Amino acid sequence: MELMKLEIITPNGVIFDDEVKQVTLPGSEGEFGVLSGHATLITILDAGVLVIDSKKGKELQVAINGGYVKVEEKKTLCMVDGAVCLSGDDTNLAKALADAKELLEKSQSRSTTIAAAISKVEQINKR
Amino acid sequence: MANLKDIKRQIASVKGTQKTTRAMKLVSSAKLKRAEEVAKRSKVYAQKLTELLTEIAQKMQESSSDNGIDNIFMRENKNPKKVDIVFVTSDKGLCGGFNHQTIKRASSLIEEFKSSDIEVRLSGVGKKGVSFFKYNKVEMINQIDDLSSKPDYERSTELIDSLVADYVAGETDKIILIHNGYVSMIAQRVSEQQLLPVDVSKLKLTNSVHMDSEIEVEPDDDDTLLDALVKRYVEYSMYYALLDSLAAEHSARMQAMDAATNNAGDMVKKLSVKYNKARQEAITTELIEIISGMESLK
Repeated sequence: MELMKLEIITPNGVIFDDEVKQVTLPGSEGEFGVLSGHATLITILDAGVLVIDSKKGKELQVAINGGYVKVEEKKTLCMVDGAVCLSGDDTNLAKALADAKELLEKSQSRSTTIAAAISKVEQINKR
Repeated sequence: MANLKDIKRQIASVKGTQKTTRAMKLVSSAKLKRAEEVAKRSKVYAQKLTELLTEIAQKMQESSSDNGIDNIFMRENKNPKKVDIVFVTSDKGLCGGFNHQTIKRASSLIEEFKSSDIEVRLSGVGKKGVSFFKYNKVEMINQIDDLSSKPDYERSTELIDSLVADYVAGETDKIILIHNGYVSMIAQRVSEQQLLPVDVSKLKLTNSVHMDSEIEVEPDDDDTLLDALVKRYVEYSMYYALLDSLAAEHSARMQAMDAATNNAGDMVKKLSVKYNKARQEAITTELIEIISGMESLK
């Protein structure tokens, strides 16, 4: 499967910069997936969970509280206000989940969006 | 003849000062490292944000028929009547000419606007600048303390949002931000940035070189995205100015304290020479007295 570059940038720096297979983004007009070769697109991101299919086949989840994304054929650039990575071992995960929830609750999106995002985060917890 | 004891006391006092300045220098260089790191990381975001804004602006320019971009945030007002100036200074002193440079630039800008009959509203961040303008009885609509020493995204957004709201309402025609920015360990530069309207010429619009495919924009309405993006851009520029200013403040203080430590060293040297001379003089006098006493006994 063809890979594409994904960069996630927050005001505190670059948190992700690697090749990935696919990424699913919480767009303001609905969730959408991006594969390599996607048409150029700029859109607003809502608070939610960003799902990355990494090149090693692992799935990574990152909670974000809104921002912008620019998709190009070979490169996707996410600019988010805040992000918490929801992966790692169990001890870190519990803390990450709590951080993620706090981040989402503080974001300025509609309450339904936030609720949906939080329930998604909780699902990860149960797995 | 200078009193030996006096000189000794002076030397001790200068040495004490030197100790303080040296400690302050060390503290500043440690803080500088941290502030520089934060500013550097944030720069990436600022750059990408500008890039994104440039692309959208370019797209709008291409799609609009002739006279550039017609958006409230991008339209340059040819006859501005009221201008907002925001300056960032430090909360603490002892950093050389750091604050003075910013204040000077702000003052000259105010004069410039006043001479062409433009009303100026001033907003100040940082105790030093605020107290200067207060002392000179210049009115300020915002006086914000404790923000430049601890940059906080929410507080800086609060400040700039109120100004943006006035701009959108048509009360002001321009927002200018002045801060003293970090260049290197030993250099700072005062920068003056026009936040609103966004200076389209500075965005370096290229004539569609790498645009091989049409950019899709969601929501379809260009303005929604552009408005949100511009707002973000302005908020972030303000925040970045604070970070940049903090790094510059520490580097300026480090420099000032380094100079002070060196000066104190020079002074100790000079005083020591003076002390030794005085001591020798005293001994010589004593010797002469003894010798002449012996002479008189012969």
